[in-house]
Amino acid sequence: MESLIGKGCRRIDAYDKVTGRGLYASDYDNQFTHVAQIKALRSPYAHALIKKLDISRAQALDGVIYVMTGYEKGIDWDQFPKAAVLAMDRALWAGQTVALVCAETEEIAEKAVDLIDVEYEVLPHVLDYYDAIKPNPAAVVDPDYETRDQGFMDRPADRATNRVSPNIVGAYFMNEGNVEEAMKTADRIAEGEFWVGKKTASPMECANALCRYDNDGGITMWSNGAGVHGVIKQGIVRILGMEESHVRVIQPYMGGSFGSRLNPFIELLTALMCIRTKRTVRYKFTRKELFIASPSNWTCITKVKLGAKNDGTIVANDYYLCEEIGAALNNTFFSGRLSSSGAAPVYTWGHNIRMDTYAVTTNTVPAAEYRGLGCPEAEFGIECLINQLADELHMSPVEIRKKNMIKRGERDCYGELITSTGIEKCMEAVADAIKVEEEPVQDMGVWKKGRGIAVAGKQNTPLGRSEAEVWFNSDGTIELFISCDENGMGATTAMTQIVANEFKVPIEAVKTTKGDTAITPYDNYSASSRTTYNCGNACMLAAQDCIRQLKDEVARAYGLHPSKVEIEGTKAILKGSYVQEVDIPSLFVPVGMFTQGNWGLQKGSPVKGHAVYCPAAIHQWGKDGRADRVWNWFQYSACAVEAAVNEETGQIRILKIASSADTGNPINTETIRGQIIGGIHMAVGFATMEEHLYDDKGQMWNCNLSDYRLPLSDTLPTNDNVFTFICPDPLPDGPYGAKGMAESITIPVGPAIAEAVYKAVGVRVTGYPMTAERILKLIEDRDAVSEGGAR
Amino acid sequence: MRFEEYYEPDTIEECSRLLIKFGDHAKLLAGGTDLVPKLKNKIWHPQAVIGLFGIPGMDAITVSEEGLTLGSLAVLRTIQKDSEIGEKYVAVREACGHVSSLQVRNIATIGGNACNASPSADAVEGLLIHNAVCDIYSAEGERKVPLCEFFTGPGKTVLKTGEILRGFFVPAPKPHTGCAYKKYTIRGDSDISIVGAGARVTLGEDGKVADCRISLASVAPTPLISSKTEEFLIGKELTKDVIAKAGDIASGNIRPITDARGTAEYRVEMVRVWTRHALEEAYERAQNN
Amino acid sequence: MKIENEEELRGRKEYSLTVNGRKVMVFVHPSKTLLEVLREDLDLIGTKCGCDDTNCGVCTVLMDGHPVKSCTILIPQAAGHTILTIEGLEAAPDNLHPLQQSFIDHTAIQCGFCTPAMVLTAKAILDENPHASEEEIREGLHGNVCRCTGYKQITEAIMAVRDGEYGDFLQWEEVNHK
Repeated sequence: MESLIGKGCRRIDAYDKVTGRGLYASDYDNQFTHVAQIKALRSPYAHALIKKLDISRAQALDGVIYVMTGYEKGIDWDQFPKAAVLAMDRALWAGQTVALVCAETEEIAEKAVDLIDVEYEVLPHVLDYYDAIKPNPAAVVDPDYETRDQGFMDRPADRATNRVSPNIVGAYFMNEGNVEEAMKTADRIAEGEFWVGKKTASPMECANALCRYDNDGGITMWSNGAGVHGVIKQGIVRILGMEESHVRVIQPYMGGSFGSRLNPFIELLTALMCIRTKRTVRYKFTRKELFIASPSNWTCITKVKLGAKNDGTIVANDYYLCEEIGAALNNTFFSGRLSSSGAAPVYTWGHNIRMDTYAVTTNTVPAAEYRGLGCPEAEFGIECLINQLADELHMSPVEIRKKNMIKRGERDCYGELITSTGIEKCMEAVADAIKVEEEPVQDMGVWKKGRGIAVAGKQNTPLGRSEAEVWFNSDGTIELFISCDENGMGATTAMTQIVANEFKVPIEAVKTTKGDTAITPYDNYSASSRTTYNCGNACMLAAQDCIRQLKDEVARAYGLHPSKVEIEGTKAILKGSYVQEVDIPSLFVPVGMFTQGNWGLQKGSPVKGHAVYCPAAIHQWGKDGRADRVWNWFQYSACAVEAAVNEETGQIRILKIASSADTGNPINTETIRGQIIGGIHMAVGFATMEEHLYDDKGQMWNCNLSDYRLPLSDTLPTNDNVFTFICPDPLPDGPYGAKGMAESITIPVGPAIAEAVYKAVGVRVTGYPMTAERILKLIEDRDAVSEGGAR
Repeated sequence: MRFEEYYEPDTIEECSRLLIKFGDHAKLLAGGTDLVPKLKNKIWHPQAVIGLFGIPGMDAITVSEEGLTLGSLAVLRTIQKDSEIGEKYVAVREACGHVSSLQVRNIATIGGNACNASPSADAVEGLLIHNAVCDIYSAEGERKVPLCEFFTGPGKTVLKTGEILRGFFVPAPKPHTGCAYKKYTIRGDSDISIVGAGARVTLGEDGKVADCRISLASVAPTPLISSKTEEFLIGKELTKDVIAKAGDIASGNIRPITDARGTAEYRVEMVRVWTRHALEEAYERAQNN
Repeated sequence: MKIENEEELRGRKEYSLTVNGRKVMVFVHPSKTLLEVLREDLDLIGTKCGCDDTNCGVCTVLMDGHPVKSCTILIPQAAGHTILTIEGLEAAPDNLHPLQQSFIDHTAIQCGFCTPAMVLTAKAILDENPHASEEEIREGLHGNVCRCTGYKQITEAIMAVRDGEYGDFLQWEEVNHK
C-alpha cells in the first residue's frame, strides 16, 4: 500500500462536525440533572480599591447555592492562571472577577450578582507599555514584586532586578559577540521603535466547563479547555489538592483555541465551585467575557537597531523588547525571553546580537499563550527594517535575506544547531508567486498598489511529554488512544494517519479515541506547535511497539525469528516458513464459556502497544543568555503580498497573498493547507484590524464581535489570488521528518503588508494593526512634509 | 424571562390600544434584530412585547405613478430584491442591502430600522434622500411626518404612546433625479458604519442642481440632513470642484463623536470623501435618467 | 422540562412550527429565542451559540429557506414557519447533502463550530442563485464568521457543488424529498 504520509486524507472528525452529530462542551449541558450555573461579578474599573464587598443579600436570595470571593478559604491565588484570580482588596483590570455566584439557574445567578453590594475607590491606571514603563507610573500593578517568594519558578534568571519601573516584572538578557564594536564597522544603520495592539484569539466557541460531582466525592469535567492531562487535570490535582484517581477530564469536540485555552482560566474555578457546593455546576463565558476575562495575547514593544554593510550584510543587531503582560501578580512566566526568540532562527546577525528584554504589567486583562507566542510581535520590526535596508540599498528583498540567513547545520545566536530549515525555499516560492521584485501596474484609481515580502522563524519549545497507546484488536481492527488537543487543526487526523501508515492500512481502518483522562494516556497539551512532533512520535512508536509484539506472536506461532515477519494490516508476511501469509486475527483463539487455559492471544483481548515521547531537555543558559539547546526545532514561513492602499481612506485591501510553510515532511497536506490559509487570514486580521480599545475608565470599549473586527469572508482575496506552498526541510527527529507549522505562517504577514504599504503610498508603519485611520494619518503627514509645512 | 407578557394583535387598532395601555412598558416586535439583542443584553426589560406580524397588510410594497409605499414590516431583503421597485428607487434598495448580513436582512424590517432610530441606520438613508414621509397610525388619530423630522435623538423618535409607524410613502422622483447611498466601513456591510453619506440630486433642464438632499449617518445623534451642503449645491453645475467643495462643507458642519468604530477626526475626513462619492454617483445616475 | 419559576411557567404558550420536515409543538415562554428552543426543548444541538449577540452567524438556520440568526429570533416569530437545521439536511446517515459531502472532501472543516451554519447558508445561496460567482458566495457568507479556515477550502467546496461535481444538487433535494 502506498504511504499515507503526505496525503490529504479526509479528516476523521469531518463527518461528525458537518452533520451536527459532534458534541462540543456546551452540548453536554442538557445531559445532567440539577446543573447549577455560575455567573461572575466583574470589576468595571481598570484599577480600584474594593472598599466594601457585602455578599449577604446575594447569599440570601432563594436559589443561590454559594458565593465565592477572593477571600475564599484555602486558596492560594498565586497558583491560579492570572485571568482566573479573584480580586481581594484591589481590582486590577476592568473585567476581573470580584465574586463568583453559583445558583440553581442562570437567571437567579445573575440576580444574585446584582445583589452584591460593592464599593470601589477608583485608582489611576496604566493601560499600555508607555504608561507602565515610566519610573513613576500612574499605577503599580504588583507593588509586592520585590518581596514575593519565587514559588515554583524554575528560571531564576528571568527575575527582574534593577528595575527602571516598578511595573517591570521579568527580564532576560542575551549577548553574542560584540554589538558595540560591530556597529562601528557598519556602513549604515537602520533602526526603529515598533508597537503592537492587544488582541483576543476569539475562537468561535466561548469557554465552557461542566463539572459533575461524582458519588465518591470525585469530579468529572467536560470542558473545551486545552490539555486534559497536562493542564486541567494536573491543575486541579496540584492546585485544588484533589486525588488523581478522583479527577476525570474529558475534552469533547472543541471550537478552536489558538493557544488561548492553554491557561485553565475557567476549569479551576468550575472545579472549585463543584467541590465547594458538592453540585454539578456549569460555567459558560459570554462573548463579552471572552474579551475582558479570558487571556489576551501579549503585545510587544521592540526597539531594533541593525548595522549593515552596503552589500547588505548585517553585522549586528541591538535588540530591545518588552512584553506587556496585563495585570499579573507574582509573574513567573514572562521575561521577554519567549518573544525575543523570534530574533534567533532566521538571521546570523554577523554573530553580534544583544537582546535586552523585559516584561511589564498593566491594568488590562492578563496575557497568556496564543498563536505565535510573541514571535509575530517580536519579528515585525526586524522584517520591516530589513525591507527598509533593501529599499535604501536598492537591493532585492529576497537577496538581502539570502545574504544573512542561517543555513542548515549552522548555529543560531544562542549557539543552537539548526537541524532543519526550509526558509530559502519558502521565500523563493512566495516571491515568485507574487513577483515581489517587480512593480505592479497602478490601475486602480485612488487605490495604490504595492508588493512586499517577509520571512519568519519560530521556535518549538521542548515542552512536556506525549504518550500513546495503540491496540490491535482480535478482529484486526486498530485503535489509537491519545490525549493531544484537537482544536480544529486536524491533529487527531494526522496522528491516525501515522498509525495507519505504520500498519499499512487505510486511515479509515484506525479508530481514534481522544481526550479522556480515564481512557487516553498522558499528553501535556497542544502548544507551541508541538503536537505533530511530540504526539506524532509517540503514536509512531506506539504503533511500532504494537507491531513488534505482533511480530513476536506470529513468529512464535510459526517458529520463526521476528525479523522474518512483516505486518501489513491484518496480514503477516512470512519469510522462511511453509506459509507465506497469515491472517493475524485467526491467531486469536475464540473462547467459550468453559474454555480453559486462556493464555496468549484470545478473542476480545487486544495486543497493546505503548510509547512515551519526550524531547531532550534544554540546557540552562549562562549569564550571556546563551546555550546550545535553548529551544527544540524551528518552523519557518514566508509571505508575499500585493496590497492596495486607498489614499482617501487609508484602507488596505489584500489583492494577492502567498504563504509558504516549512512543515518538515508534511503528514496531511490538506489540513496543512487549511492551517496556512487560516493562519494568514487570522494574521491579516491581526495586522490590519484587530485591537483592544479602551475608554477612559479603562474598560474595553469594543468587547463584542461587531466592533472588534475579525477578518471575514472577504478579507482575503478570491481563491485564484491566494497561494499556499509547502516547502519542507525534513526534521531529523520528527515523525517521518515532520514538524509543526501552525504558528510560523502568522508571523511574516504583518511586515509583508507593511512593506507593500510603503511601496504603495510611501509611508512606513511602525506597528499594527495598521488600521485605515492610522494609515490615513501617515499619508496626511507625508503630504504635509512634501508640501513643505503644515496645511 | 426577558419580558412577562406577549401579545399578537390581529388589527392595528388593537395594537395601538395595547401600547396605550402599557405606555413605556411595552415594545413592538417586527424583525427583532434590534429588540432581541437589547432584551438579551438587559438594556430593555419591558413588561410586554407586542408582535406586529398578525396585522394584515403591514408588509405590503406597492408601486404607483405617485410613488412607492412601503409597509413597516416589509423585510429588508425583500425590498432589496424587489424588481418592481427597480431602478427608479435603486438607492432605497441599495440602502436596505447595506444593512448587516444576509441573515439579518432576511428578517429585519424597514419600519424597525426607522423606529430603532440609530444614528447609523442604513436602510432609512435610502428613504431620507427621497424625502419619504412616515405614515403614523394611532387608535386616537393618524398623522404624517416627513422622515427627516422623525428622529429626535439616538433611539428616540416623535412617536407618542399608542402610535405605530405603519409605513412610508416615497414620492416618485422627478425626471433627471439620481440617488446614491454610500456606507463606509472597514469590513463591508457587517460593520456598523463609520460614516454614511446619502445624496439625491435632481437636475433642471439646464443640467444644474434644481433640488437635492444630503443625508449623513453616524455623525450626529440622529441621521443628519446637511442643509448647508444642500444650500451650496442648489443652482450649481456639478463639476469636480463643486462636488469636492460640497464634501468640504458637509465635513465642516458636523460634530461627530469618537467611539469604538472611529475617532471624530477620522469621521470628519470620511464625510468629506464619501459625500463626494455619493454625489458623484447620484449625479451620474441623474444624467442617465 | 426546566422550570424557571412560577411566573415563567404561567407565561408559557404553545407554538407550532415545522422543524426538519416534522411538525412540532413546544410549550415555552415567548421570550425564548429560536436557538434556545432548538437546543433546549427540541434537543437539536447541531445549531451552535457563538456570541448570542447577532454578530457571528454560528447559530444560523434556514427559515422558509432563508438563512436567519436563530439567537435573534423569538419563538413567536418562528411559529408557523418551516425551520431547517443541520440535522435535517442529510437524507440519511449515509446519504449526506452534496454540500456536506463536499465540505468533507475539500477539508473545509477545522474546529467545525461554524460548519453547520456555513453549510446551511451555502445551501441557501446556491438554492437562490445556482450559478453564484465566488464573489457572490463570499458576499453571502459575510454574516458567517470562521476563525479557522480562511474561507478558501469552504468556497472551493461550495463551488464544487455549484459546478456539478456532486451531481445536480437541486435534483438531489427533489429525489430525497426535501
